[in-house]
Amino acid sequence: MPSELLEAVELHKSFGEVHAVDGITLTIDEGEFVAIIGRSGSGKSTLLNLIAGLDRPDSGALRFRGGALHDKDEDALAIWRGEHIGMVFQAFHLLPTLDATDNAAVPLLPRQKLHECRRRARHRLEQVGLGERLRHRPAQLSGGEQQRVAIARALVGNPALVLADEPTGNLDAATGSEILRLFGQLREQTNTAMVIVTHDDDVAAAADRRVHVLDGRLVS
Amino acid sequence: MAPHLIVAELTRRGGRALLGALSLVVGVATFLSLQSYSAAYREAARAPLDQIGADVVAQREGDRPESFDGIVLPHSTSPLTVEDVHSIQSIPGVQAVAGATLFWSFQEEALLVALGVDPAVPVGPARLGAGVTEGRFLQTGETGAAVVDASYAAERNLTEGDSVQVAGERFPVIGLVDTARAGAVANANVYLPLSDAQRMVAASDGVSSVHPTTREDVNILFIRADPLRGEQVADEVSRQLGETALVTTPQSLSGLVGATFAAVDRFGIAIGAVALLIAVLGLLRAVQANLLERRRDMAVLRAVGWTRASLRRQLIGETVSLSAVGLVGGIAVAAGITALLSLITVSIPIPWEVSPTPHFVPGGAEGLSVQVTLDAALTPTALLVVVVITAVVALGCGYLAARRAATIKPAEALHAQ
Repeated sequence: MPSELLEAVELHKSFGEVHAVDGITLTIDEGEFVAIIGRSGSGKSTLLNLIAGLDRPDSGALRFRGGALHDKDEDALAIWRGEHIGMVFQAFHLLPTLDATDNAAVPLLPRQKLHECRRRARHRLEQVGLGERLRHRPAQLSGGEQQRVAIARALVGNPALVLADEPTGNLDAATGSEILRLFGQLREQTNTAMVIVTHDDDVAAAADRRVHVLDGRLVS
Repeated sequence: MAPHLIVAELTRRGGRALLGALSLVVGVATFLSLQSYSAAYREAARAPLDQIGADVVAQREGDRPESFDGIVLPHSTSPLTVEDVHSIQSIPGVQAVAGATLFWSFQEEALLVALGVDPAVPVGPARLGAGVTEGRFLQTGETGAAVVDASYAAERNLTEGDSVQVAGERFPVIGLVDTARAGAVANANVYLPLSDAQRMVAASDGVSSVHPTTREDVNILFIRADPLRGEQVADEVSRQLGETALVTTPQSLSGLVGATFAAVDRFGIAIGAVALLIAVLGLLRAVQANLLERRRDMAVLRAVGWTRASLRRQLIGETVSLSAVGLVGGIAVAAGITALLSLITVSIPIPWEVSPTPHFVPGGAEGLSVQVTLDAALTPTALLVVVVITAVVALGCGYLAARRAATIKPAEALHAQ
């Protein structure tokens, strides 16, 4: 039986009068692939930010492998993300001044020697098929290649959980499918749990489990 | 801190980094060059007095002689008594005092400027001994001998072993001295033992009719002072000699140099400080603009696990590196400007009263001057000041940037992008 990786209990988050997340309870198991689906503005990205510790819930509890996250300060959450979480964004969010290797190495830089960071980054870039693009900067890469660099960056620290917010949203259909296949391959190779926020049914179909968010609540 | 990220930021956002560094280069170079220029001019202004080993030359202004016949005192001087000398010797900071007697001797329709020298005191005209070109200089206790200025001797065909007549009294010439080599202050045609000069002046009707004089009086003092207390000594000497005091110091000489130097000397520190302030604002602007542009990058770094301390180290590292480039560049430019300044020769005017020649004598009204090559250099103090200021500014800017970066909410910043 798979063990529980992350548990969110009765999360609430409001922005003024808007209840972006309204009492969501959710559990993610080790190695599980969960798709959070919903229309634009339904609160799914806010939920992802709360799970990642990028935003704080107004109330509710978050636990990671049984340990409470909701009472940690910002730096403790940053360290937790660095050690256990990989982040992938719709707009890739690579650092424009760095090449692919250093972009992928960024999460490790505060904690490890540069040559070790780069060695691990090169390994992940080769894994995502960018072994020939190690010294290219983001402006020299296509959208799909940039998202592969972002995935390598998310995996470089061997995280237990990858959180991806609309990872195919800025890509054409073919490239989006490639990225989706890549997520599937990497999950098989690494047994990393993945939570992908999407409104794309094809992406959602690839997941083990789909949770539907509507007006800040889980509806299925 | 990740040094290669610093290099990437500074090189790949080159335009802004260059502007920030350039503003520091200009500020540091302006500050150091002005200090160097000012210090070099001040040092140059010391040259005329340094050449005779004095820091202060003091006289008491006298009255115009009734007639220009025989021995008279230049009217820039009047007798200074033994009490005056003792009083000045006791001023705190005074290290040595040499008294001399300067007089004009009008004889056979010609003028002779004579200076009585005490060779026992190594300050003042006794330093002329270093400029002897023939024979020897006066010795302690010696009387009845004269050393003649080489150019005066050339005009009169005088050599060692000849004699020179001063106010009807003959003195054997024991040596020739190149006065120009020893400076332009207290120039004379003939240098006599101080006791002979005092005796002749005290016996002169031309002098006693204007000023009561004794055989112990002198009329010009060369004072060596503690380098840190020169100005205080000059002020005290001036106070003791009263309203008619004529006190010459490096500061008074530098006041004669010119308006440009006076402006730089007076406002140099302020101008340099303003230049540094503009540089600091330029750096601050570059850092702030950089941070605004990199707001998303900061959010990404936080999202992938960087703590606020990691960000702070990174931003301070970037600012310090940028400032170090500006500092080194500024020092290099200042060193270049200083090297150019060292090629400049300046003219330091000598006031008439410290090397007087009657105005009615041909050339007597012409101002004397000393040509000095500027000894410009970057001083350790000025370097230390800019290094400390730059370090403080760099750390301050980096810290401010880090504080602003720490307030960035990753979720908001990434959503906004």
